[in-house]
Amino acid sequence: MSEQQELEQLVQRDYKYGFVTDIEQEIIPPGLNEDVVRLISAKKNEPEFLLEWRLKAFRHWQTMAEPQWAHVHYPPIDYQALSYYAAPKSKEEIDANRPKSLDDVDPKLLEMYEKLGIPLHERAALAGVAVDAVFDSVSVTTTFREKLAEVGVIFCSFSEAVHSHPELIQKYLGTVVPAGDNYYAALNSAVFSDGSFVFIPKGVRCPMELSTYFRINAMNTGQFERTLIVAEEGAHVSYLEGCTAPQRDENQLHAAVVELVTLDDATIKYSTVQNWYPGDEEGRGGIYNFVTKRGDARGHRSKITWTQVEAGSAITWKYPSCILRGDDSVGEFYSVAVSNHFQQVDSGTKMIHLGKRTRSTIVSKSISAGRSQNSYRGLVHIAKSADDARNYTQCDALLIGDRNGAHTFPYIEVKNASAQIEHEATTSKISDDQIFYLKSRGISEENATNMIVNGFCKDVFNELPMEFAVEAQALLAVSLEGSVG
Amino acid sequence: MSRIAEKRAELPAWIADALPATAAAPNDIQSAAREQITQWGLPSLRDEEWRWTNLRNLSRQTLVPSAGSAVAEVPHPISAVLTDALVIEFVDGQLKTLPADLPTGLTLTSLEHASPEQRAAAFAPAATTPNDALLALNTASAQQGVVIEVAANTVLTRPIVLQWQDGVVPESFSQTRVSIQLGAHAQATVIESVLGMNQNLCWRNTVSVVTQAANSQLHHLSLGLDGDHHLLTDRTFVTLARDARYHSLNLQLAGQLIRREIDVNITDTGAHCDLFGLMMPRGKQVLDTHTRIIHNAPHTTSNEHYRTIADEAGRGIFKGRILVAQDAQKIAAFQDSRNLLLSDQAEIDTKPELEIYADDVKCSHGATIGRLDPEALYYLQSRGISFAKARGLLIVGFAQEIIDEAPLPALVDWLTKQVTRRLGGTTVAE
Repeated sequence: MSEQQELEQLVQRDYKYGFVTDIEQEIIPPGLNEDVVRLISAKKNEPEFLLEWRLKAFRHWQTMAEPQWAHVHYPPIDYQALSYYAAPKSKEEIDANRPKSLDDVDPKLLEMYEKLGIPLHERAALAGVAVDAVFDSVSVTTTFREKLAEVGVIFCSFSEAVHSHPELIQKYLGTVVPAGDNYYAALNSAVFSDGSFVFIPKGVRCPMELSTYFRINAMNTGQFERTLIVAEEGAHVSYLEGCTAPQRDENQLHAAVVELVTLDDATIKYSTVQNWYPGDEEGRGGIYNFVTKRGDARGHRSKITWTQVEAGSAITWKYPSCILRGDDSVGEFYSVAVSNHFQQVDSGTKMIHLGKRTRSTIVSKSISAGRSQNSYRGLVHIAKSADDARNYTQCDALLIGDRNGAHTFPYIEVKNASAQIEHEATTSKISDDQIFYLKSRGISEENATNMIVNGFCKDVFNELPMEFAVEAQALLAVSLEGSVG
Repeated sequence: MSRIAEKRAELPAWIADALPATAAAPNDIQSAAREQITQWGLPSLRDEEWRWTNLRNLSRQTLVPSAGSAVAEVPHPISAVLTDALVIEFVDGQLKTLPADLPTGLTLTSLEHASPEQRAAAFAPAATTPNDALLALNTASAQQGVVIEVAANTVLTRPIVLQWQDGVVPESFSQTRVSIQLGAHAQATVIESVLGMNQNLCWRNTVSVVTQAANSQLHHLSLGLDGDHHLLTDRTFVTLARDARYHSLNLQLAGQLIRREIDVNITDTGAHCDLFGLMMPRGKQVLDTHTRIIHNAPHTTSNEHYRTIADEAGRGIFKGRILVAQDAQKIAAFQDSRNLLLSDQAEIDTKPELEIYADDVKCSHGATIGRLDPEALYYLQSRGISFAKARGLLIVGFAQEIIDEAPLPALVDWLTKQVTRRLGGTTVAE
């Protein structure tokens, strides 16, 4: 039984980001109606077009029904019991919510980011990463702005971009994920509070990796951030996103929207390490992560890569997608989804091929342990116009323990005879033979399992930027090592 | 929260009006099903299991329920191939003849004369969601059908052929129910062959219930080879006991819309099922198969191979689900869906699903969609084989692996000819 004990011991990892930062916050009372939408907009001093857009989204949202098709179960969410805006108060409440510089930011907040290990201050310089940190609803600070500005890259909070670059926002906002796209996207469009905006002008290769850190801190709040990344002709950017939340007994809602636009020859690489609080061993608490992420490869020869490591959240409902509109455009999706305890994951991707000679690759690895349910749900759609399109899909699931589930729901729709589609999926546990082989070479069971799991995920980890690859491997090790008997 | 009640289209009047007060199903089951179908209406694209298959064309028709007056028109071609077959004839869903001189151990009973126990077994599967609306409709209305019982330890050497001639009376529809019960160690071959007659529009909604006792073996073939305008919705439920083996071959070439659903429930260890299928839609045909294999017991296996060859504006749909229940360990399940797309107007939709709740399993699936390999075509042409012939060779080769699964050599030859003949009519694209 030592294996069993080892398993339990290791599976019962603590959530190390589960602290609450005690900062005075400005929260508007729970509830959602047009006044709340107007209030959020007013608080951010938004131009008229954005308020109109929000209201339109809100009215549409009211006519929509919550999607029921995902392979997840949760009690109905009372959208009126949530607060839709929470902002940390800066020492002197100058300049609405935005601190003028790092010095204005509440030290407690900086301390918290320190705890999280975000390279925010000087550490940022070492890591060479520009960070935009979103704390509950407000973007707290953006580092390295001047350096980025020199080459013409705009990297700032969404609410700032609305004021400084309204023409860009108006041009691109909602063009990839329309306001009424789906239930959660519509909700987000109505009440989104902040997020990041990135604009890489024509021909520029972003000199450093950009990064956002999301954290939900306040109780009973939802976080609704919105990210918009535009890469003009020939531009190139790699963007990283990380998430954490404090440990709480109740569930918190996170409904984000991410929009990517690439014009001719542009490349966006979007990497996520998602480590929201997953709930405790009994399945209490945790984040409901209902996210709409979509990239529009608008230009010819453009490329969008989604890489994600999903370790947190009580429920994940997330399908980073690519619309391959431009000829010869490329979409890629690499994912590792780890679930433990009572976590439920319904995640995957959509590859919509519209342009000629478009190519897409999907590599999805899921690892389920405890009593979790882990589903891959994906769509590959080859439109009539997509001559010589190519797709390769590989979905592998690893099961650890006999009380969990691993599922695959791939939709493949092909309307063009020149398409070539391959899909394969496997589900299995770590075989006794593999463990035995490694053990017979003097490797402990724990290390053997680690090796096998890491090998299983290698295809995806190879796609992650360096800093994240290290973090992801560590995260996986904490989550699962030795949990196979 | 804002949850909008989903509005469902009403059941078309011509179907609603034809719902009988009582049918062959036990009364309580029939009335429950009647209530369900009235409430649900026909399945729509919003129902997950029907998102690719549109019944709108059907609901727009006004078909009349088939009466018993139609008579068989032609001798069924399969009778010439399988001379010793026991042929059960249906015309427009009405049972016409049951074979005489049955081998010992085989009992055939028309549904009308079935005992209450037989009826209870034949109507055991219950509809649960609007996805099952056609099952509910069938339960509520079916009066015609047959109960096939093979006693324990009986090995039937003569195949049983269910010969369905549909559309003898134009614009008619019918509801039929077939029950196949195999005793322990019994072996049988049941071939269902559907003919759409005289290019008439018609619709038959049928349900088959197969129950196999321990160590029994069934070859179950469904052949749709002729007719362009008939619609068929066919659902088959299979329940397998210990060490039972079910082998299905589903070959669909004909019809305007064919929707087959095969649900296999493996309830005890050692049982195995093989599902093979070949669909060749062309013209404006929609050929659709949904399969669900549920491994409810440990040490069970399944093997599934489906191929689609879509030409012209044909549409092939395949959805296969493998579900492994909790504690059903030591499962090996394999599924593949391979598809050939021969024209830009054609469409293939495939969804191979795995739903696994146990850990000691080996489950995999694969799906491919593509056109004929240009290099293979070139190779054949460089050997002096014409383009059209080379193309035909490659297509038949692709289909042959499925056809070879037919249980009798005479049948394999005949089916190969049917498929080849079918290709003769296809236009050479590219």
